Amino acid sequence: MIQNHKYILHIPIWVYIKSMPRLKTTYDVFSAIGEPRRRQIIELLVHKEMTVNELAEACEWPQPTVSKHLGVLKEVCLVSERRMGRYRFYKVEPDKLKPIQEWMHQFEKYWGGALDQLDDYLINIQKKGKQK
Amino acid sequence: MMQSTVTPSKIVREFDAPKTLVFDAWTKVEHLNNWMFPMQGCSCEFVKADIKTGGSSLHKVTMPNGHEMWLFTQYEEVSAPEKLVFLQYFSNKNGDIVQMQHIPNWPKDMLATLSFEEIEGKTTITFLWEPRNPTAEEIIAFESTRADHDKGWGAGMQQLQVYLSSL
Repeated sequence: MIQNHKYILHIPIWVYIKSMPRLKTTYDVFSAIGEPRRRQIIELLVHKEMTVNELAEACEWPQPTVSKHLGVLKEVCLVSERRMGRYRFYKVEPDKLKPIQEWMHQFEKYWGGALDQLDDYLINIQKKGKQK
Repeated sequence: MMQSTVTPSKIVREFDAPKTLVFDAWTKVEHLNNWMFPMQGCSCEFVKADIKTGGSSLHKVTMPNGHEMWLFTQYEEVSAPEKLVFLQYFSNKNGDIVQMQHIPNWPKDMLATLSFEEIEGKTTITFLWEPRNPTAEEIIAFESTRADHDKGWGAGMQQLQVYLSSL
């Protein structure tokens, strides 16, 4: 009895387990997608909602690997979970991906566009020069 | 701290103009105001321009919807008519740099390096864009946003773009 009582005073093990990943790493959207396998998961979920098992099958990875990476994607809200009966379906959260997509194209869009303007401008001023 | 390297993003473009003119277009305000904006319908106004090695400039790009964007540029190297190196930042109208708060870990210093090469009256610009002295987190942020088939997003990214643009 006394031993049992002592045991109860201990902090339950799940407290440690639950807090462990946070102690190790905190993720943001970019570090979450910095890992190629997580990008592969996102690319698959773009097409449709999938369960962990469906993802494991499509990627040919062990199910715990999929769960681990899904956990990170969920932590940064790039992926959300929907429960239906015994199944959990995962899907991408497009709002979270939009800023990344915008940044991805920033250089090509902004400077590519500016160089188009420069091209037009150079053609124009050289035409004018010749007309004089 | 260990120095990590990233592969710069790159644009190569040929212009039907001599090198001196193309270089002037990048460094003289009377030219810059006529083209330094990302698309038709925008306008550009340089309010401050000391475009030389160690100098800086401040300009405003007005978008077709009236939105104003201020850009502060710090010139690391201006070697006419061969090379132009600058750091460009989003700023306010006073030229104070504004941080990108909604993008965590986006590199603070983005360095642009332009080289100009003339062959038979045509000038090729090679434009490189990369973070300067990035932290490990900034490298991840920069690398993860580019469509690079070797180590970045695969073909699924095309789908993602179609998907996002349909929302």
